[in-house]
This record gives sequence, structure tokens and C-alpha cells, in this order.
Amino acid sequence: MAFWRQYRRNVAAVIGLAILLVVVVMAVSAPLLYPGDPWDMAGKPFIWPFQSWKFPLGTDRLGRDVAACIFHGARVSLLIGLVATLVAVVVGIVVGAFAGFYGGKVDDVLMRLTEIFQTIPSFIFIFVVVAVFTPTVPIIVLAIAIVSWPQLARLVRGEFIALRGRDFIQGCIAIGMSDLRIIFFQALPNALAPVIVTASVTVALAILAESGLAFLGLGDPNVMSWGTIIGAGRAVLRQAWYLTAIPGVAILLTVLALNLIGDGLNDALNPRLRGRR
Amino acid sequence: MHTHLTRRATIAGLALSTFASSMARAEPVKGGVLNVALFPEPPMAVSAFNSSTYVGLISTKIFDGLVTYTYEMKPEPLLATSWEIAPDGLTYTFKLRPNVKWHDGKPFTSADVKYSLEKVWSKMHPRGRTTYQNVTSVETPDDLTIVLKLSKPTPILMKSLSSYESQVIPKHIFDDGTDLAKHPGMNAPIGTGPFVFKEWKKGEYILMERNPNYWDQPKPYLDKIVWKIIPDAAARAAALETGEADFTAFSAVSISDIKRLASLPKLAAETRGYEYLAPLFLLELNNRNEYLSKVEVRQAISHAIDRKFLIDNVWEGYGTALTGPIPPTNVEYYTKDVPDTVSYDPKKAAELLDKAGYKVGAGGKRFKLRLEVVAVSDTMAPSGEYIKQALGKVGIDVELRNIDLGGFIKRVYSDYDFDMTMNVIYAMPDPTIGVQRLYWSKNIKQGVPFANVSGYSNPDMDKALEGAQTENDPAKRKAMFVEMQKIAARDVPLTDLFYIKYVTLHNKRVMDHTTGAEGTYANFAKVYLAK
Repeated sequence: MAFWRQYRRNVAAVIGLAILLVVVVMAVSAPLLYPGDPWDMAGKPFIWPFQSWKFPLGTDRLGRDVAACIFHGARVSLLIGLVATLVAVVVGIVVGAFAGFYGGKVDDVLMRLTEIFQTIPSFIFIFVVVAVFTPTVPIIVLAIAIVSWPQLARLVRGEFIALRGRDFIQGCIAIGMSDLRIIFFQALPNALAPVIVTASVTVALAILAESGLAFLGLGDPNVMSWGTIIGAGRAVLRQAWYLTAIPGVAILLTVLALNLIGDGLNDALNPRLRGRR
Repeated sequence: MHTHLTRRATIAGLALSTFASSMARAEPVKGGVLNVALFPEPPMAVSAFNSSTYVGLISTKIFDGLVTYTYEMKPEPLLATSWEIAPDGLTYTFKLRPNVKWHDGKPFTSADVKYSLEKVWSKMHPRGRTTYQNVTSVETPDDLTIVLKLSKPTPILMKSLSSYESQVIPKHIFDDGTDLAKHPGMNAPIGTGPFVFKEWKKGEYILMERNPNYWDQPKPYLDKIVWKIIPDAAARAAALETGEADFTAFSAVSISDIKRLASLPKLAAETRGYEYLAPLFLLELNNRNEYLSKVEVRQAISHAIDRKFLIDNVWEGYGTALTGPIPPTNVEYYTKDVPDTVSYDPKKAAELLDKAGYKVGAGGKRFKLRLEVVAVSDTMAPSGEYIKQALGKVGIDVELRNIDLGGFIKRVYSDYDFDMTMNVIYAMPDPTIGVQRLYWSKNIKQGVPFANVSGYSNPDMDKALEGAQTENDPAKRKAMFVEMQKIAARDVPLTDLFYIKYVTLHNKRVMDHTTGAEGTYANFAKVYLAK
């Protein structure tokens, strides 16, 4: 409860959370509201938004219902964002924790490895991975996770280096607690706050990356994501701009919401900032 | 009063300028630079060695062919002034144009044609190998006469003598002992054509200048042609709009942009001039697949696709639905009178699938097929999405697989690891040149791109195709092709979707760019810029 009291002081963060809730509701309700396949050519092509009750957001060049696409797209975008982030967080924590806790050679090896991944431009790296394997949802998730974990690893490492010198950790070592237990049950809970903040932004970046891939035609062609809708609409931008604008706004709002939530979490979880507002 | 006068003066001026432009039509204007927006950039500039589309576009301005073609595919003199074919179809005698010089000043003679045919067309050209396979000897009784002796009649020969298909190259340049595949002459081409190659800045432009010694004076009318390499479709559209480019071929802008650009006052669209190539959009089926090996399934797929919807909504109307394997542009051989497997009839498709023994199972699906999608243009991906939905409606679950062009060639033509794939195939002016390769069992060649990849093999089909290859009597030859079309329509080894109408978008001041079946593959000697 205390956390929520801290969090709600940041009005922008509350708005962000509200937007994200709407997106989640869209994702959850998609199979109920639009039980059919979003790829179905349901009506005439190029019906503009607000012209027909049946298609409140219009139809695209093949007559697909844009509203159904947006609702189902929310599922895909959120799923990819969350799973990719989860994978990145787990890998990042493990690598960062070991590097930070043990230091020395372990740290050197793990950090050089991290740097190798960090020096490759992330979007191009995603491209390569997706091009080498076939573009399916698991591969896309994996590709995004691969470029996202190094940042988290460095963050966790920094936290662990700071924590290692602290008395309670030294105490744990002194009483002979096992390393793994210290890392995951003593140090990690204390390092988690910045990870959560960064993870919320990572979700946003993952959604953007997936949209970028789909926009360039490298997404999973069997899955309807927001990027797919934009990619398909780009070709007809001059005669039907709404096909790019509607999913574009959806991506914008979701990414914005996640960033606002990140800020809010940062404020709420950072004791030094407490009571500033 | 003042405005009134001005308006009248304007009207008078308009009338005058209309008059002037109609005058200009009759009297070509000399001079000026033609700017062409081009992409992709061709790798080299001699079509004799490389039959790809964009090599053809540039090389045909530098090299003339023996003949050129009217819209009706009637040959007209170019480097050959006259020709005679023996009644048995086994001897061809060509008289060559006198006083023609290569761009480096050396005279053009029958030795050049003999060299091109013997060393390049019949050895290195993918279609030339078939076209010239029956040529037993090439004689050059004098510098301006060439005689071909054949072992069997080759009715396609007179259709294969364009600059794009059989490009005459200089013997004195290429016959110097250098490995032809790596010859430097390919990037600094020397031809006999109306334009002389000047400069190639990779990634930027290719510059050609007027050939002052061209035999057909006062042609060419243009001073220069600049081929500007513009990789982005939207940038090419903008270049046309601003006047930075005057000309584009092969639907060089996004398909949804064509109508808008064509409606601009200074631009126009031309869909003629692609009859020689006759591009077809096909859905190729792997007949080795368990389901696709059944003829009912293949017929059902053809009936399940609404070609008109696909053309109108994805291809913006730039297509003509096909009725069989041979496009209507192969005028002499095309027939509509074949079993109907192309009409849009999902009910019939469902019945055919039931008949094949594939009942609708759980989730409304009968079975699953994969469709390869090469996402190279803004039409391929949505075409794939359409086919997926259309087949889904009759209970065939389609999985789309995005792939790049290199991966596509390997997966489809080398590994046969596909169920269905969309493809653009040039049917060319004669079924023996273009269509036969897709249906002929002897052309099932693993690893060869654009061969018979469906694996279809039918002795009756082979008999008709092979007969037509060497049949000298036009009526008998037509009968063989009619038979071929009937078999193909019944067996549907691949799904004929539609004839693609490519568009040449150009500034209205560019005149006489498309005057025959070769279209933008003509030599552009006649092209001029109206004032």
C-alpha cells in the first residue's frame, strides 16, 4: 500500500498505468469481441473509420477489419514485449549477479562477453538473427532478448558490486551461507528496484523492435501485430493514411505508457526521491 | 477589360501551343537529355551474357538486334535488312546492313553475328541454348551475308532476334582469349546501337551519349540518356513528380502510387510494350506433396482464388486474369477453349476437396500447406495474405513463410522444400521459349531457377510441347499448343493467376518510347523530347 501511495503521487505514471490497463483489456478481450480470425477479409476494402457500425476503425486494402486487427495485435505486441523482456531479465540478472558478486576473472569474462553483444547495433543484430532463422514468434522473441539482456546485466552487476561490500552480505559470507543463496535470496531482492524500472522500458523497446521488424516485412507473416498493419498500410499511405495512423497511435500510446510507468516506478522505488514532490 | 484581354490572349496562346505540340508530334525534335529513374542497378551491361530484366533495359540502347518487332510480333529490319527462310524451315539467310560501325569505329560484319551465335547465344544464354540447339552450321559467304543451317525446324528463331534475346556483340572485343565470364567488355560495352556508353558511377548513374555515326540519321534524337540509380520507390515517384526523372519502366514506383502519378498533368502511364516479355503471376505447386499430388486438390485451389479480387485490390487493377497456361499475348497460339478450372467458385472447390477424400476436420480445416513469400515488393506480401485467406475459406490452412530472394532460390529450386510459391515468370512471345519450361518433364532440373519446379510430368504434355518445338507448319503447331493448353487446364500442375500489366510512367514530353512489342527494350533511337 505504501508503494501505491508513493506511485500515485506521479500523475503521469498513473495515466501511463491506465493506458496500459486499456491495452491489456484489449488483448484479453480480443477473442471474445472478435472471435474470428483477424486476417479474414470481412468486408469491402478501404472503408474509412467511423463510416460503418460494423467496422468502427474501417477496413484495409484486403477488406480486413482494422479494429479486430488492433485488438488481436495488442495480444501479439504485449506477448512479444513481455516474454522477450522476461528472457532478457533472467539472463541479465544471472550474468550481472555472478560478474558483480565474484568480480575478478569471472567478471572480466562475463563483461567482455556482454560488451561483444553491446557493440553490435541492436536492430541490425535482430535483423541478422531473424534472417538467418525463419521469422516466427519464438525466434523474434529470442532475437529481441539477445539484444536486450546486456544492458540489464551491466545494471545488475553495478548493484551487486555496491552490495558486496555492505555489512549484511559480508555477514552472510561470514556465517558460511552458500554463494547461490546469498546471490539470489540476500543480494538480489535489494538490487531488484532498478531492474524493474529498466524492464518496463525494455518491454517498450521490445514492442518497438517487433513493430519495426513487421513493418519491414520481417515479422512472422502468420501473426497479426501492430507493425504488420503499419507495414501493410505503408504502401497505400497516400490514399488511406488511417491504416498507418491507427496502429501507429496504438504503438505510441503503449510505449509512452510503459515509459511513464517506468518513471513512476523509479520515483516510487527510489528511497532518495521519496517525498520530493 | 484588362483581365478579359489577358484571358483571351491565354486562350489564343493555349491554342497555339496545342498546335505547336501537334506539330512537334509530326516533327521529332533533336537534342535534350532523357533522365531515367532506375532500380535495381544492373550488375553489367550486355544481355547476351545475362538475361535479367534491368540488364536488358540498358543494354538494348547500346546494342542493336538483328530485327525489332511490331506489336503483332512481326519482325522489322534493324541490323539485318532482309531475310529468307527456306520452305522446309532448315535454312535461314540474312542480309546485313552495310556501313554499320561499332562504337570504336571498327566495321560490323557477318563475323560478329557468327561469333555471337556460336560462342555466346548458344552457349551462355539460358534461353538461347534451346533456341539455337538445332543450328548445325553458320556460314558467312561474305561480310554482309549469314546463312544458318538447321537440323530441325525452329519456329521460334525469328521471334528470338531482338537485341534483348540475341544481342550481337563485337567479335574483335570479346574474342581475345579472355575468359568470357569475366570479360571487362561487359562493364564498358561497345555496340552498334544508337547510344554510346560513356560512364558508369556505381550506385549513382549510367551515362550514354548519342552515337553520331548511327546508320539511321537523323536518329537518334536524344543527346544523352542518364540512368539515375534511385533505390527507394517513393524517391523514384518524387523524382517523376519534380521532373528530376522523365521516365521509369517496369512499374518502378509503388503500385498504389501509379494511378495518382498518372493523373498528374505532366505525367502519363503506358501499359503497352511488355508483350514481348509477357510477365505472368503464378502460384506454383509442389506436385510431390501428398495433397498437391491429387489433381482435385490442385483444381480446388485454382477455383478458390478470386483472380479479379486479387488484381483489383492488391495489384490496383494492373493485371488480366489468365484462363490457362498461355497468355493472350501469344496471339497465334492462345485459346480460350479449355476446360474451366479458373472461375472463382469456392463451392466447387469444397466439393473437389471432399471428392479427393479430405473432409473438413477440427477447426474447419482439412489440411495444411506452406506458402513461400518473397517480400520484395508491396504486392507480394498482400498477395500471399490474400491466398492464405482464400484457401482458408475452403478449408486449406496456409502457413506463410517470409524469405529473401537468395533463400527462396535455394529452398524452392535446390531443396524442393516448399508446398506453394508465388512467382513472376516471363512467358515471352512464344510458348516454346517461355511457358514450356514450366510444364516439360525434361525440364525438372533440381537446382536450376525457374525450371519445372512443380515436378509435373505427363507424356501427353511432353509430346505436344516437343512436337511444337520443331513443327514448321503453323496450323499443326497451333493444334499442338491447343492440346497443351487443354491438358494444362485440366491437370493444373501450377495455378495460372494473371498477366501482369507493367506500367511505363513517363513525363508527357517523352515521345515515341513505346512503339512495338519490345516496349522499353527498344533501342530508343526514335525517342525525342517534345518542346
